This record gives sequence, C-alpha cells and structure tokens, in this order.
Amino acid sequence: MPTQITSTPPPAAAANVHRVTLRFEDGVEKEIEAGADEFVLDAALRQGVPLVYQCRSGSCSTCVGQMVSGTLAMVRDRALSLIASEIAEGKRLLCSSHALAPSVVRLHYPSTLIYADARGNFEARVAGVEWPALSVAKLAIALERRAGFSFHAGQYVRIKVPGTGQWRSYSMCSTPRDLPKMEFLVRIIPGGAMSEYLRAAREGERLQIEGPLGAFILHPGTGLHVFVAGGTGLAPILAMMDEIRHASGPKPKMLLSFGCASDKTFFYRDEIELRKWWIPQLSVRLSADRVEDPASGLIEGTPVDALGTEAISDPQAAAYVSGPPPMIEAARRRLAELGMSPERIYAERFVAS
Amino acid sequence: MAASERSSSVISASRLYAPYVEADWGFKNTWYPALFSHELGENGVRGVTMAGHDIALRRSRGKVFALRDRCAHRGVKMSLRPMCLTADTLSCWYHGFTYGLDDGVLKTIVASPDDPLIGKVRIRTYPVMERAGIIFVFVGDEEFAPLPPLEADMPIRITDDANAVAHLLDENVYVRGIHRTGNSNWRLAVENGFDPGHLLIHWDNQIVAATDRKLGLGVEPIAEGAIKIIDEPDGPKGIMNMYNTRAYKFIMENKAVNMRARGKNSYYARTSMVLPGILLVEHWPAPGWAQYEWYVPTDDKHHEYWEILVGRCRNEEERREADYLYDNFFEPLALRDFNDNDLFAREAMQDFYERGDGWNQESLCAFDAATITWRKVAARFNRGIQEPPELHNSPQSQR
Repeated sequence: MPTQITSTPPPAAAANVHRVTLRFEDGVEKEIEAGADEFVLDAALRQGVPLVYQCRSGSCSTCVGQMVSGTLAMVRDRALSLIASEIAEGKRLLCSSHALAPSVVRLHYPSTLIYADARGNFEARVAGVEWPALSVAKLAIALERRAGFSFHAGQYVRIKVPGTGQWRSYSMCSTPRDLPKMEFLVRIIPGGAMSEYLRAAREGERLQIEGPLGAFILHPGTGLHVFVAGGTGLAPILAMMDEIRHASGPKPKMLLSFGCASDKTFFYRDEIELRKWWIPQLSVRLSADRVEDPASGLIEGTPVDALGTEAISDPQAAAYVSGPPPMIEAARRRLAELGMSPERIYAERFVAS
Repeated sequence: MAASERSSSVISASRLYAPYVEADWGFKNTWYPALFSHELGENGVRGVTMAGHDIALRRSRGKVFALRDRCAHRGVKMSLRPMCLTADTLSCWYHGFTYGLDDGVLKTIVASPDDPLIGKVRIRTYPVMERAGIIFVFVGDEEFAPLPPLEADMPIRITDDANAVAHLLDENVYVRGIHRTGNSNWRLAVENGFDPGHLLIHWDNQIVAATDRKLGLGVEPIAEGAIKIIDEPDGPKGIMNMYNTRAYKFIMENKAVNMRARGKNSYYARTSMVLPGILLVEHWPAPGWAQYEWYVPTDDKHHEYWEILVGRCRNEEERREADYLYDNFFEPLALRDFNDNDLFAREAMQDFYERGDGWNQESLCAFDAATITWRKVAARFNRGIQEPPELHNSPQSQR
C-alpha cells in the first residue's frame, strides 16, 4: 500500500492571509486561514482540517473544489488537470491554489468521509434476535450501506425502536471489522419499549440508528488490561477484547471479571470460554451475586468482589469498567485500593430503560 | 433450552477452532520460505506471492531485500520486467518510479526528477532472513513488532531421542529440497501432512517396497498422550504424533478387506506440525534424516509446497555421499513419488472445501483426533489471520 509520509508545511505568514470556508456535502463547514504564499490544501492540513487529496502536484484532480465566492488563483507553473471550462465554472485544485480574497469552497464529499467519528443517522435491518438468557437478548442488525459509518470498539449507538418514537442506547458487542453487521446485548425489562419490540421482531425489519457515540474506547498501552463488567455491560468489553484479539503485535495480559445477578441468569459463559481459548493472555473470573447451585463454579459476589485483594503492581495497568453506576463506583474504589491510579480507570454507565 | 443449561454446556471443538476455519488466506505475521538462495543470484529480482502479499525480492551486494511488488504509480508488478539502475534501488520498468531497497521510499522518477511525490510516496518493505540456503520473509502487518526469531517459526529441536535428527538451523547440516505449486488451500495440505490415517495412500509406494519399510495401513490413537501439544515459551507451537510410544497403534492389516501392509524394517517416522504449518518427519526417508515441509499459502486456493531434507554433514566426503543419496534415492522416491500421492489427495479435497461447506460437512473418525487438536492449537496460538488482499491492498485511505 502506498502511504504518504506526512511533512509539516511552514506556517503561513501573517500578511495577505484570508479566511477560506470549506463547505462539505453534508453541510458541515470548516474555516481556515490561507495566504498567498501557501496552497489551500497545505493550509487546511496544517490547521487540522483533513481533506481528500493524492498527488499534490495538480495532476490527479482528487482535491478539486467548487469556488462559491471569493478568489482562488491556481499557479501557472504546473500542468494542471482541469480543463478551461471547468476553471471558468469555478473549479479549483486546492493543492495548487492560493487564496487572494476571503472565499467559500464547496466540496463533493461529506465531512464524515474523513471524520469517521462524526455521528450520523443510518438505516439498518434486523438480522436476528437470539436469547442467551431469559432476561438478555442479542440483537443483530445489518447496515443498509456501510459507507460513512465506522466506530471504535466500546462505543455505542442510539437505536430508534421500530413502531415507536423512542430511542434507546446500546453498546456494540461486535467490532468494526464485523461491519456492516452490528450486535448488541439488550437487557429485557417488562414493558420496556425495546424489550417488547424484540419479543416480536422479525428479520429484515428496518430500523434507524444514530452514532457512533461515546468515548469509552481502548487507550494505547501494553500494560495489564483489567475488564470489569456487570450484566449487559459485558457488550463493550467483548468488543474491546475482540479488538485486541485481532490487533497486530503481542497482546497485553488481560483479566476479565464478569458477573450477573444470579447463577440462574448468568449468560455468555461459552462466549467467554471461547475467548479464553483464543487469547492465551486472558484470565477470567466469573461471578454471580446469588449462587444457588455450587456446581455452577461461579464465585459468589459482585465482579468487584471477584477482583480480590491482590495488589495490581503493573504501573502501566489500565481498567475498563462497564455496568450499573453502583458497580462502577465500587470498582473505582477497589481498583484504587489495589494501587491503580484513578486516571487509568475508564468507565461506561449502564442504566436500564 | 433454559439459560442455566446453556451456561454449563460443553463447547464444541468446531467453535473452539472457528478462527482456523476463517484463515482461508493463511496466518500472518510469520516467517515463510520465499525462495532457495540459489534461485536469487546477485542483482537478481524475483516476484513471489505469499498469503496474498505480492513481494519483489532483490539481491544486491549479497543481501536480499523484499518490497511490495506493486508500483505505487499504476500498480504494475515490478518483478515482471526487473529494472535495477543503482545498487540500492529497484525501479519500475513502466515509468521509472525508483524505490530505496531498505525503506521503500520513492527516490526518483526517471522521467520526472523534480516531482513533488519524490521522498513522500513509499511502498512497504518486508523483513528478510537468509538461513540454511533458504530466503525467509516475514509476511504480515508492516507495524508488527517485535519480530519473532526465525527459531519460533521452525520445528522444535528433538531432545528425546538418542539418535536425534538434525535441526535446519544447526551447524554442519545438509539441506536440499524442492518447492512446487499445490492446487489446494494450505490447510488441506497441512492436515494431510501429519494425518495418521492417510498411510493407506502410501502402502504400495516405491520407497516402501524398495526399503522394505514397515509403515502400516494407518495409525490409530488408542491412549492418552498420543498427541503431544508443543508450546515452547516464545517458541514453536503445534502438535506431535507420538508414534514412538504405545499410545498409537499401527494397523498392519484389515481382514474385512483382506489387506495387509508389507515391510519388515521398523523405524518410526514421528510427525509434528508447528505454526504456521511446518511439518517435521523424523527418520524419513531414512533413519537419521529429517523431512521438513511448508505449505505456504499463495492465495485461498493454492499453496507453495516446500519439501526439504535435513541431515548431518561435517565434511566434503559426507556431502558427496549425501548428494548421491539425495539425487538417486531421496528426491525421486520420497519427495517425488511418495509425496505425489499426498499432493493428489490434497487437490482431491479442494472442491469439497471450496465449493461446499466442507469444514462443516466432513465426518471425522478416530484417527482424526490429531487433526482436531492441530486446529484448536492453531486457533489459539496464531499471530493473526490474513485478511483477503482486497482489504490489505486497498488504496490509500485518503483517496
């Protein structure tokens, strides 16, 4: 794969600097400062506004924009790939143009093409509903068009419950590499809008999602990863573990502590056992607040209790905690007692609705 | 099924080895043999495809370099018409894009010496190691670090045998062999390589008859310990068929079909398979010798079949003796005649696994325990599953 080596262009001189407004297809506008001594593309990249481009020499026309107002002048010492009529219409190659006045440029692509993290609305269809436990459903959906949607493992989307005006938020338990398929774990609540819908959901039904949302994502680091999950809070943790599983290079040591309310409602045991096999670096503690059958092999207590009292000596360790707010608070306290610094504990709150 | 019953269910083997079934294009981030050293002379350029990666190899001042065999300009393979204009570059024959051998950076364009792309565009490079007369390339993600040592992607050193066979990376070894294309997915080749039940296709082979070797009709695991897991810390991972123990029973005859294996000379040929799919057969084709095999994925339907013989060799006289054996016995009878039957079997399996849902339709039997164990071990210890080339060769993301 050809890859560009990025170089930082020199900063613009204060003189002859004009404001250039970049208007994307989706209506998003970005403003930059560009002068007579700097190409508009270079100015945009320097000011942190990524644009689509390739050759940077006027040959490929990838960086073409439509001048709406103002004056963008193209250099004359390059063979440019625009024909005279296009230039007359106001087309400009941003890699070879200087701003001579405040200008507005329209671009032929949405800001989300490069801003993969910007949220948007997307159409999807129900791909299946499974019941890992009586109180937990796994909803699979497939995006109608993959283009423009991407996310980081750990993030969530809002889903509009079909047939209602109500939106609910769910973390993906699948990873970006599974797109256009996405999977969610839904806690079933009697009378809940999504719960009622899922009981009768049919494959192929359309639904709308908005996202991606949230900042619960993996942070770079090779230290111990401690994952603490309660109930359907397991979803973003599964996505993170699978993301690490597929990532290149040596894997960090990982500890997963996962718990449910009781051994009767415990779910996804085999999914966790599979990951224990696939990821030799992963160790697992499984717990339930109430254990009626000792043969279940579950630790009695919360996933925070199951962390134990042994100090976490790795100064590079990071923790990812996902579940109901009281569990998160308990986990923060316990992890701090075990020696972890609070700024390396990341959390995602799950509230039933 | 109630939730509590589900939670205590035993996970099927096929779910445990699901990542292996996904690995149509092979495992990545691993050392694969690309060429014999003698196939790439000074200033030579050769193109090879491994796990979907098109790679150009060039030898300059004795050292071998590997670059992506696709010019960044228009995507042609540079190895199709090699052009080397300086000792430290490789040029594309089409428009003269010229890349540094060690970093892949565009150094000049023959017909556009002041082009703004120069110094900015690059093609990726691959780590290379040349050992025992074989050029090995580390195939996978460019950012993979740290690189594992070559020893980690090699068969284990044999330590439990008074007459232990030599290791490829030992001093004073004789290494010779061949490689050729196999028209099947690499996994079918791997699983054929150590298959304890497949001796049937060899029972009447020339080498078996000529050496009166007692090979049997097949081997059946009958006790715990038949299949040993190889899990060396930071070293090879795989399985070993413990044919040297009583945990495997050699089937010498089947009365139901009135069939009897011949051969009086009993000398075990223990087999092991380590990631990413390297076979070691001890004491084959003759006691004291070792046969190595690689099944390097080319794409999802072809593999490069490497057959290497390794023996001890301390001086010229022993080398001459080994050459005589290799030319007149080992290559024609073992690497060709005997292994031709294996190649035939793998290619015969291909359509079932390619067109049908072979991985879910097969009916495995008792002696396939080794196959299942290998799949599970491969699913657990691989360094990554190679994506099809549409993904890893996709154009620059900004486009």
